[in-house]
Amino acid sequence: MSPRPLVGPRLRRVLALVPWIADHPGAAVADVAARFGIGERELEADLELLPLCGLPPYTPDRLIEVELVDGHVWIRFAEYFARPLRLTAEEGLALLAGGRTLLAVPGSDADGTLAAGLEKLAGTLGAGEGLAVEVGEPPHLEALRRAAETGERVEVDYYSFGRDALTTRRIDPYSVFHAYGHWYAEAWCHLVDADRLFRVDRLQAVRPTGAKFEPRRDDATAVADTVYHPSPDDPRVTIELPPDAGWVAESYPCEEVEERPDGSWRVVLAVSERAWLERLLLRLGPDARVVSPAELTQVAADAARRLLRRYEPAVGG
Amino acid sequence: MADRLERLTNLVATLLDTRRPLPLEELVDLVPGYPPDKASYRRQFERDKDTLRGIGIPVQTEAIDALGPEVGYRIHPDEYYLPQLALTADEQAALHVAVTAVQLEGGAGPEALWKLGGLEGEAATAVAALPSVPELPVLFDAYRERASVTFAYRGEPRRLDPWGIVFRRGHWYVVGHDHDRDDERAFRIDRVEGPVETGPSGTVEPPADLDPASLLRDDPWRFGGDEPVTARVLVDAPQAPGVVHQVGEHLVVERRADGSVVVGLPVTNVAAFRSFVVGLLDGAEVLDPPELRDGVVGWLRRLAATG
Repeated sequence: MSPRPLVGPRLRRVLALVPWIADHPGAAVADVAARFGIGERELEADLELLPLCGLPPYTPDRLIEVELVDGHVWIRFAEYFARPLRLTAEEGLALLAGGRTLLAVPGSDADGTLAAGLEKLAGTLGAGEGLAVEVGEPPHLEALRRAAETGERVEVDYYSFGRDALTTRRIDPYSVFHAYGHWYAEAWCHLVDADRLFRVDRLQAVRPTGAKFEPRRDDATAVADTVYHPSPDDPRVTIELPPDAGWVAESYPCEEVEERPDGSWRVVLAVSERAWLERLLLRLGPDARVVSPAELTQVAADAARRLLRRYEPAVGG
Repeated sequence: MADRLERLTNLVATLLDTRRPLPLEELVDLVPGYPPDKASYRRQFERDKDTLRGIGIPVQTEAIDALGPEVGYRIHPDEYYLPQLALTADEQAALHVAVTAVQLEGGAGPEALWKLGGLEGEAATAVAALPSVPELPVLFDAYRERASVTFAYRGEPRRLDPWGIVFRRGHWYVVGHDHDRDDERAFRIDRVEGPVETGPSGTVEPPADLDPASLLRDDPWRFGGDEPVTARVLVDAPQAPGVVHQVGEHLVVERRADGSVVVGLPVTNVAAFRSFVVGLLDGAEVLDPPELRDGVVGWLRRLAATG
């Protein structure tokens, strides 16, 4: 027996289709299919079902009437489906969160159409001003978004947080997007001749170069996935943590977490950049300890000595 | 036997059309497609009811009359029908752009657009991806229904009047009045331990003109029990823009020609402040007050002594 398709999603679609077609007598089948994001075949299957539906006792006058003529469609006698079903929490959230996010992006709703639509929606949902989405607006976001849209190569000064280093490079930013609370630019980097992901808030400067590149579209969610996933080649570091540092296990993608009987922790993290590990260890303090690999057991002490030079220039020169 | 989709469509029509709750026996007699024996049709109807409720159809179970224990089923049209939104085609197109440009994980956007009249205009290139977390929809629902909620947080039971939902720095928060603390609080929703229990609707009144984002406790060094003090921190040029972005322009007290900045941070949590400063590595320095500067130096000395 072949697996049966889920009935829920199709019922949802039918209950949305019927009121729309009833409201738009004689709509073209092709247009309706496009409007609901389905093929004409699928739509016709839905339409074939409807004349079998209606109210008891299912005599002809109680059934939904569907008329299909020359690729146009009419639906009558379906007053009980005069309006679509209310939005669920997930749907209302997707619309409002999407809309509010886009409103927070500079230059995205120049004529206020989206804001007007959202206001009607928020009123209906009873959501008022109580749903706020903040995406931040780092200084060079607009310049970079413009460069991505028009395909302009730019020169940037970029602070690499992981390596604690400032570099100047030419990049072709083909996608600028917000994920996990930050703005990123995915770009071809001419310094390393490879695709690189840049945090927009770590750009110090963006300068035009006059050169162009061919813009390309990308799926932000697919790109966003690359933000968080460590590479298999990154070194793994084992750290012992005091009992009050359990937040590390919660805040970072640990590959292994072990809570020991005395309340202390042992975690394994993928670490691609030394400066990233330095930051973590400096925050954790003297009670945390790198167990392996051996060449990283001195990272915290070395970093602490380097920072101390700012405060005590005499120590260690 | 009638197709299940056909039966469900008929069931919704009948439940919407009825003016009184219909007992199960009557319902399975009216709607074609249910098996004749009682145990089977009861089971089948339960499954159908779950399917309908699962897609958000408010199937109500109500007493048939005030005297007896017998119940029936119906859908109140005013609970089912989407209110008239009177969206213009341009507004629909703008919402289409919004749900394609901003993808909320879980992707209920397209179904939502069906209900608003389908996909108007063109889809957009993705601009942002927002995470979803399990308890987000139920908390959003409770907020818009003006209902209080209970849940566990860090192992403790909490009772909250939700005043709003805020997304900041990659996380969803619910903010509101915490009954147990008798104070305004924010909770990170991914740390809420479900299930969230929702109380009766219409019992919560958020303060007028509330900006829910203002209740979020950001910048951890501001939230602690320590004696308040203003720390001046010099941040070198490479990290200056990021720090200014994080703390806010209004806390910049000096901009130097080399691109570095001095920020004045209100500190009431010394440990959180120290974490912030050492996280900037040797690209920053606490200038004063001396006790905070000495605190960081002491911390670094202890670290340096470990290796």
